[in-house]
Amino acid sequence: MPAHAISSIQITVEAVDAPIGQLKNAQFQVDLKGAQAALILNADLKPTNEKEFDHFDLKCGQFLTEKIGQAQCLNGRFLSKQINAPFSVDFVSYPSDFSLSIAFNGANFSDASGLHAGENLTGQIKMAAKKSNLSQTWLWNGLISWNAGELFWQPFYFGKAGNTFEINGTFKQDVLNIQNASLLVNEVGEMSATATINTKTKVVEDVRVSAKDVDFTGLYAVFLKPMAQKTAFGNMDVSGKADWQFEIKNLAPTSFELNLRDANIEDKNGKFAFSHINAHIPWDYDEPKNLQLAYKSGHLLRLPLRETKLSAEINRFSLTAPQLNLPVLDGALNLYDVSAVRLADSWAWHLRMDLIPITLSEFSKALGWPVMKGQISGQVPLVTYAYKQLSMDGAMTFNAFNGTISMNNLKIDDPLGVVPRLHADLQMRNLDMGDLTRTFSFGAIEGKLDGDVKDMLLENWKPVHLDASIQTSEGKQLKKISQRAVENITALGGEGTAAALQRTFLRFFKEFNYDKIGLSCKLRQDVCEMGGVESTPTGYVIVKGKGIPSVNVNGYTQKVSLQDLLGRIKRITDSNSKMIVD
Amino acid sequence: MKKLITTFSLILITLFSSSWVNAAADLDVNTPAISAIKNSMQARHAQLNPHYNSGAVGLTADGLIAVRDATAVPLKDRGGINSLVAAENSDRNALYKEIAAGNGHPEWAGEIRSTFANRWVDKAQSGWYYQSAGTWVKK
Repeated sequence: MPAHAISSIQITVEAVDAPIGQLKNAQFQVDLKGAQAALILNADLKPTNEKEFDHFDLKCGQFLTEKIGQAQCLNGRFLSKQINAPFSVDFVSYPSDFSLSIAFNGANFSDASGLHAGENLTGQIKMAAKKSNLSQTWLWNGLISWNAGELFWQPFYFGKAGNTFEINGTFKQDVLNIQNASLLVNEVGEMSATATINTKTKVVEDVRVSAKDVDFTGLYAVFLKPMAQKTAFGNMDVSGKADWQFEIKNLAPTSFELNLRDANIEDKNGKFAFSHINAHIPWDYDEPKNLQLAYKSGHLLRLPLRETKLSAEINRFSLTAPQLNLPVLDGALNLYDVSAVRLADSWAWHLRMDLIPITLSEFSKALGWPVMKGQISGQVPLVTYAYKQLSMDGAMTFNAFNGTISMNNLKIDDPLGVVPRLHADLQMRNLDMGDLTRTFSFGAIEGKLDGDVKDMLLENWKPVHLDASIQTSEGKQLKKISQRAVENITALGGEGTAAALQRTFLRFFKEFNYDKIGLSCKLRQDVCEMGGVESTPTGYVIVKGKGIPSVNVNGYTQKVSLQDLLGRIKRITDSNSKMIVD
Repeated sequence: MKKLITTFSLILITLFSSSWVNAAADLDVNTPAISAIKNSMQARHAQLNPHYNSGAVGLTADGLIAVRDATAVPLKDRGGINSLVAAENSDRNALYKEIAAGNGHPEWAGEIRSTFANRWVDKAQSGWYYQSAGTWVKK
């Protein structure tokens, strides 16, 4: 009778039900043809929490079981729709403990939603567990490390390999307790964590994470940015050192702390930047905390901010400070009775504000405007911000051009959004036309000017609605207009504006006397309906002459496109700034 | 007489039907608000383009965009894809509202949205996904 060697064993199982999931159509095959046994398992698997069965193939190129309770799988590969993982496993088990060591090389995995996924991961997982018979609790420790590849674990992305997580804890009936996790995260530093996870619901119930003296750049990129995505701080370049700690109990945040040392932040959309920040930002659900923030310099909407130290009290979802002093350029914004509260995912706040005079020359330079003389000052009894609208009760006064410009009824809708809308009324009194025309290189005019702008609406800082008029102030004053200014006003009015003088006569004198200058514009979208100091049967008077030599300038075009008008002003001021006038 | 009433009714219906709105609405109307929104969308397009190409993001039937397949987003961008799509949709909603307002007819926003929904699909590159009758279609 010839001897037959067994070359393969094949087992087929129709269905297996286990607490962690279901297995069906399982085919288990041990191939004994080679020097070492190879093992192949393919089946449909449905973990308890998933809805559908997913097919997988598990293969061990070399399957070794030299001792009882020991198994080794070398040159293994796990293949399913979402996973492709070449691996090796070393498994040792005794009646009440086991140890497992998995090495993976270029592994890819993803869950169906793509919220937990890894690509080209090379590293290892080691785990050992021991069951205490007395308390029916598993004591375990583990290590996960990877030195190549990238990992996304909603909402965190670990783009740089070289991460090692060492974890130990306990497990008893659905509750996985991580007593101590030491996380070494590349580009961040060392962090520690504790957590309680319900394995049945897969919910992380309690977490405490703490990081001391870590790199703020990495901490922000990996942990803070994903959580700040929908806030103003979600798109920044940062640097510096940080401590960070937070705690969640029963799914609700209970405490938070962020300390920054010599940190810098810069909004990538250019809305703000602060440098050399030292900050202590604590928060606790149960007790009030004191926030401290200092920076050397910065800017907010291009407005330069000088060295500042702020402190405020944070009480659960509100923030209060009796006084905050914000040095701006050579002056300051003094804020009083500051009170902010978090309402339905957004902040609402109110405060009183005093403007310690800021030199207008610095202010205009900072905003890239023509350099003006004078200063801005003001007292605002109430500024409120709620539901994305900023509004101001009271007036802000600019002392400029030897007169005053005051702004009333200011409201800004969505100031940091795509389309900020500013509503305001402006009142100008006794502006020195000499200063004004020199600043904007518009040919000299001597005299005083009053103006009113009502119902002004700026969309994205551009005017779309206003009722504006400017005219010579009442009272005695020197009223002179230069030849250049007359020519410019004539050019401003476009076709149909004419100096009621012969051109030759205009050239003859350098300066003329006038009685009144005035212009008005009713702007609706881009169309400005023009007017002057008085109407004529065919148009309006812009400059009304008086004495000898005098000049009249009349406008005839009633409706002008604002874009054309601004274009003309720009051409005039640009060309004039290049030549010496008068 | 009856014929006259019918004709008159037909004229009225034609006047107030959506086709009249489309014919009358100036979709290229420009206001500072519209140009600010268009600039914001233009700046974001470079970030969205690879996701349209990969099929991760598709065009919806109501003139917005949606994440179609998150697994097609590179891991480094995956955490930010939802807020990127939300920001684009916020701009698109604002655009339809502003174009209607720019035409002096805020009530046209719905019609303008559906016109744009078709426009986006027409302008889409081949290989991009769009929603039609509730399912994703590859152009």
